[in-house]
Amino acid sequence: MGFGIRNLSKRYGATLALDDVTLDFKPGQVHALLGHNGAGKSTVIRCLGGGASPTAGTIEVNGEQKQRLTPRESREAGIAIIYQHLSLVDTLSVSDNLFLGDEHTSRGLVDQQRQRREAQEVLDRVGADFAPTARVSQLSMGARQLVEIAKALRRSARLLVLDEPTAALSPVESARLAALVDKLRTEGIAIVYVTHLLEEVVRLADHATVLQNGRVVWSAQMQGVSKADLVRAVGGSSHARQKNAPPAGATVLQLEGVVCGSAPPVDLSARAGEIVGLYGLVGSGRTRLLETVFGVRNRRGGRIVVDGVPAGTASPSEALRAGIALIPGDRLKQGLFSTLPASDNVVMPAIARLAAPFRKRREERGLFSQAARDLRLHPADPRLPAASFSGGNQQKLLIGRWLTAHDRVRVLLVDDPTQGVDVGARAEIYRVIRDAAVQRGIAVLVASNDPEEIVALADRCVIFQDGAAVADLDMESVDEASLLAAIHTSPTS
Amino acid sequence: MHSIADSPLRTFLLKNPLIVLLILLVVGVQLSTGSLLTWQNMRGVLLDASVIAIAAVPCALLIIAGYIDLSVGASLALGGVVAGHVMHGSLASAPLAVVLAMAAGALVGLVNAVLSTVLGLSPFITTLGMLTAVRGADQLLSPLPLSGFDASFQFLGIGSVAGIPVPVIIATLVMVLATLFLAATPAGRHVYAIGVSREAAFLSGIAIRRIPFFLYVASGAMAALAGAVTAARLNSAPAGQLGLGFELTVLTAILLGGIALTGGEGSMLGVLVGVLFLGLLGNSLTLLGVTSFWQNVASGLALVAAIGITAATHEVRKRVAARRAQLSAPATGPAAPAASRPESAEIGS
Repeated sequence: MGFGIRNLSKRYGATLALDDVTLDFKPGQVHALLGHNGAGKSTVIRCLGGGASPTAGTIEVNGEQKQRLTPRESREAGIAIIYQHLSLVDTLSVSDNLFLGDEHTSRGLVDQQRQRREAQEVLDRVGADFAPTARVSQLSMGARQLVEIAKALRRSARLLVLDEPTAALSPVESARLAALVDKLRTEGIAIVYVTHLLEEVVRLADHATVLQNGRVVWSAQMQGVSKADLVRAVGGSSHARQKNAPPAGATVLQLEGVVCGSAPPVDLSARAGEIVGLYGLVGSGRTRLLETVFGVRNRRGGRIVVDGVPAGTASPSEALRAGIALIPGDRLKQGLFSTLPASDNVVMPAIARLAAPFRKRREERGLFSQAARDLRLHPADPRLPAASFSGGNQQKLLIGRWLTAHDRVRVLLVDDPTQGVDVGARAEIYRVIRDAAVQRGIAVLVASNDPEEIVALADRCVIFQDGAAVADLDMESVDEASLLAAIHTSPTS
Repeated sequence: MHSIADSPLRTFLLKNPLIVLLILLVVGVQLSTGSLLTWQNMRGVLLDASVIAIAAVPCALLIIAGYIDLSVGASLALGGVVAGHVMHGSLASAPLAVVLAMAAGALVGLVNAVLSTVLGLSPFITTLGMLTAVRGADQLLSPLPLSGFDASFQFLGIGSVAGIPVPVIIATLVMVLATLFLAATPAGRHVYAIGVSREAAFLSGIAIRRIPFFLYVASGAMAALAGAVTAARLNSAPAGQLGLGFELTVLTAILLGGIALTGGEGSMLGVLVGVLFLGLLGNSLTLLGVTSFWQNVASGLALVAAIGITAATHEVRKRVAARRAQLSAPATGPAAPAASRPESAEIGS
């Protein structure tokens, strides 16, 4: 009567996102899935939820082998997936959300009373302290997650998939969620728990599996497994780092007591040609720091100095004038002009600089083809809309956007550079960033929650925890395991 | 390898499907009535289309930038009324009338600009409010219709230079300038960038407020210019009737021209085709002897059909682009754009 996947493979174009993966999800057990971004966790989830159909292998549902599931079949089989981005309707009440698309009716009208009564029962089951009539928009993230879980329980889910459930929760809410997971396990529900946090795995999981590049590299019962064992299992390196001579350039960027939000002030410096990694979990303040330096967020205090000159960064355009550029983490929403041609995406900031006052088309074309050559953009077709490029090549378009403005950019801020970039293309992105740093002598800050990425890319690494920069490590002496250990221990101060 | 999929003609027609319909309409009606392509008839069609085009061009630019201006009907009436007052005043001069009319329209645009771009209020709501408010102001300014203008002012509406009617000259000029603006200036590219993603444009250091601000002012001024032209044509400026429902005509022409309401897409050629199609459709139905009620039904259906075709070809274009991306991708590289992002569910994590 269990769930599982058998020899499951999923191919996207030329990339194998999942390669012959077999996993068992037993009733009453918590199965933790670990791995870096792009390791294949999300693909497993998608195959279970009916969002992707496997290329080979089967999905076991209540003892039955299926080639693929539709979203509806998945739901009817009792599979419920709680994504990081919750799918609730904010403006409706909790009970309306619980019964959305499956309303109780009486004489053609929604039977609110019955819905609220049943909603209350299921909310009690998850230990919620809010009423069924509460509006979702007024609930905290943790409470919203409870609504999602309640929704799954109301549909009598037998397999509950939690995708990084604590990423957006406060410590108190996380503890409450952990208690709930424990409770649901005793009720005989099978739980898949996707996370980056090894402590949660040790605390909650009965079984853990580490995925890497679409394959299972480690899988074991959790009895007798310590956090140190997990760190070793997750940290198994695959990207050989090309060691560079340590950069000896002059200091380009200096942050002096920069305050963003309520976090303590950050001091940080970067030399010409140096790549500084900002490493920490989601919500640890890495992205916030980048956005503050780039002028997207208000700086509450401190100084930003570029090449010895204090830089005003009240807005992105001011930051750009000071030589600071940002490649944002949400490539599709914040970075690309998805329907515009590739060339526009690359030369957009350069157009105005070239123009006098009319556009210089020939120079623009020249800039694009130069960038396409340098970055090995594929396809190198200037007319193709940005949205039709692969993740890696989209990222190259964005990197190219700032490298074509080479005489101005002195500091490149990169947020999560390989988010949604397949494994094969990552090394290429790393090379491009490294070349840019060394050849142009610019300072690069790279924010990431992927230790593998930091090891592959950074010369130095600043560890972020709860909004604060807690450590500054030289990468010569650091590997993935020590990075993982660094963010999974409480701040020493 | 040069397949039909890549031919420039096909790409062009897919981008502007209405051109085919326009040609079919012209040929069909010409064959059955024989009176469409007479100079007299076309002159009337072009005059109507010109007034629409003058106001539609800046409005289309706003829509490409992701904004909208619904107040153009009231601004048109304001332009007519202000010009009429000047011509009836002690300083009656046609150039002054035009300048002051455009200034009044620009003022309306300025208010729209401040509300929508500086304060960030919903452009739909603010310009809808301005539509009603300015219409009221028009009638306050001129409770009785102004009429009987000096010939120097009427020249703006009924005169011609080298045989070409003045409104047509103005519309052509506006269109050429806007085409140049879009193609040859950095701000023109920025219009598209802002329309596709205001956030990405902001993070690229583009002045995301200044450009739409300027476009709102231009939209008000040009609608008022269209109003002065209309008043000159009619030799009268009835505040209550001038440009009634004009904003919807403009919007229809723009949508027909393949400009997406969601922003980021469209061309001046599209506006031209949309404006001409709208004018020729009404004229053709009249020539075919369709009674006015049926004319409304027919033109309404034709518009829905035309917009449907535009949307359908848009889908085809997207698929062609996707196929091209796939063909030119390397054998070892990922091909399908959406599918090659196996961990996309983690975006934002």
